[in-house]
Amino acid sequence: MANTAETAAAPGTPVVRLDGVSREYGKASGAFAAVSDLSLDVPRGSFTTLLGPSGCGKTTTLRMIAGFVRPTSGRILLEGADATSTPPEKRNIGMVFQSYALFPHMTLRDNVAFGLRTRRIAKPEVLRRAGEALELVGLSHLADRRPAQLSGGQQQRVALARAVAVRPSVLLLDEPLSNLDARLRVQMRQELLRVQRETGLTAVLVTHDQDEALELSDHLVIMNGGRLEQQGAPREVFPAPANRFVAEFLGYQNFLTVPGHGPVTVRPEHTRLLADGEAAGGDGVLLDAQVRGVTYQGSHCLVEVAAASGDGEATLHCLHPGDDVRPGARVRIALPHRHLVALAGGAGTEDR
Amino acid sequence: MIRRPFLTLLAAVAFTIMLGPVVILLGVAFTAGSTLTFPPEGLSLRWFGAALAYQPFLDSFRTSVVVALTSTLFALALGIPAAVALHRGSLPGRRVLENLFLSPVIVPELVLGLALFQQIMVGLHSTATAALVLGHTVLLLPYAVRVAGASLALADPRLEEAARGLGAGPVRTFFSVTLPVMRPGILSAAILAFVTSLNNVPLSLLLTGPGVATLPVEMLNYVQSSFDPVVAAVSVLLLAGSVAVALVTERLVGFTKVFGR
Repeated sequence: MANTAETAAAPGTPVVRLDGVSREYGKASGAFAAVSDLSLDVPRGSFTTLLGPSGCGKTTTLRMIAGFVRPTSGRILLEGADATSTPPEKRNIGMVFQSYALFPHMTLRDNVAFGLRTRRIAKPEVLRRAGEALELVGLSHLADRRPAQLSGGQQQRVALARAVAVRPSVLLLDEPLSNLDARLRVQMRQELLRVQRETGLTAVLVTHDQDEALELSDHLVIMNGGRLEQQGAPREVFPAPANRFVAEFLGYQNFLTVPGHGPVTVRPEHTRLLADGEAAGGDGVLLDAQVRGVTYQGSHCLVEVAAASGDGEATLHCLHPGDDVRPGARVRIALPHRHLVALAGGAGTEDR
Repeated sequence: MIRRPFLTLLAAVAFTIMLGPVVILLGVAFTAGSTLTFPPEGLSLRWFGAALAYQPFLDSFRTSVVVALTSTLFALALGIPAAVALHRGSLPGRRVLENLFLSPVIVPELVLGLALFQQIMVGLHSTATAALVLGHTVLLLPYAVRVAGASLALADPRLEEAARGLGAGPVRTFFSVTLPVMRPGILSAAILAFVTSLNNVPLSLLLTGPGVATLPVEMLNYVQSSFDPVVAAVSVLLLAGSVAVALVTERLVGFTKVFGR
């Protein structure tokens, strides 16, 4: 057991620290880097999410934290101690897999007790804690069933109970909700959050679903091509994406270059469509534009326009409260300065 | 009534070809007469009595069972680790190795038997029983690897990782997760291997020595010199044994699982 005072590090120490970690596959000549020089801290008690498209290295990163994949360079610190070459069974982790990975030949109780039994805990204590963990996910009444008799959502709750029962120093969640249907997935998010709060565990979640990431995490890490693109609290990251990749991944659609600002992005609800002769009011950038399409959405219209921006024509999506514009109309678009998000790197104006 | 007369006819023909000889054999075995003729001349169990009283059949049956049991155990002992390595390890050239384990199925058994005969019985002066066990182990190994491995191929490879993550070392993971997950496959492999060994002729033919023969070989010897229904009776007994094994398998794991892959 590694949850006692002697191994617990100081409160400020990150539970997991990645220090210049890389993982390459293949021979030196044609090596492919799944993760490149990644440095990252997982704050104690946080719900940290690794977010990115498939192939961005987020799963490899999680598997390196778990010990299933060995980094080709760099160090991994768990509770402040170097664990780079520690085998998974000695890392005191709790892992939940996308496929649940429940032991099919064991009852739910035995599944949940498995990790406790490997830890040389007295039998009554094992049963008590397994029971507690099942209670936590509301499945005590099914303790004697086998996994095959359960629905996907129930199986995933058992997998969660099994992982938290050992009181791991970090709970690793590998796309745990991806195999569930859409409605259940949204329900399970809150369940996941509740369990993490109640147990006070530090969690690392891997997902490609930005809604899930925004809803669950208090620390968001966005990855692309094996590198870290941006990290921070969702409330900091979402309104201020650092570059075009992050912006696009978080759902931004408007990319343009504005004189004096460089490459920027702006959300549809922060644009204003001005009718002929209408005053802009306040400060901001004014662009001449032509309406391409109008999508009626009840309380508002989504207007797609071709706007003349700093380096050519940009397609913008604007939220417009009225229903008074038609395709082909010439309009002006007002973009308030305070809503323009400057993007680093080459944010072109090409359509996507 | 019959919507596809041609297919129905084809199925009927196929079943007749498959089961016809068996029906004839059954008839012959229960005959009261003394020749291998069909239809039987009256009904009796006398040839079963004769078969059970014929010492070479009893001796060779015992040899067959010993050889089948031992070689099945050896094949599993070698095949299970091989299957685990093939399906769970990160072996380079997995495909090649997998095909290598299949090769005894591809190589004609007579060729295999001859090779073993020259190398083991002649070269090492081994006893016939030892040679039989070794030969049958080689024969059964592909079944062990394939069938035991099938249950592993179907299982989630994350199971072992889950066990490791929960604090179980590689050895504990193997015995508490991998092996139990493979159990139905191992059981199927064992039964299939046992029956295969018990019924084998070509390999056994070359590896039997003076005074040591398996039951099928002894039966072959018998029909070469005699022409009475004793062999038919023995065949029916063997058939009954195989059917019993098949039924047990069906009850335990289901045929689709055994032959599904």
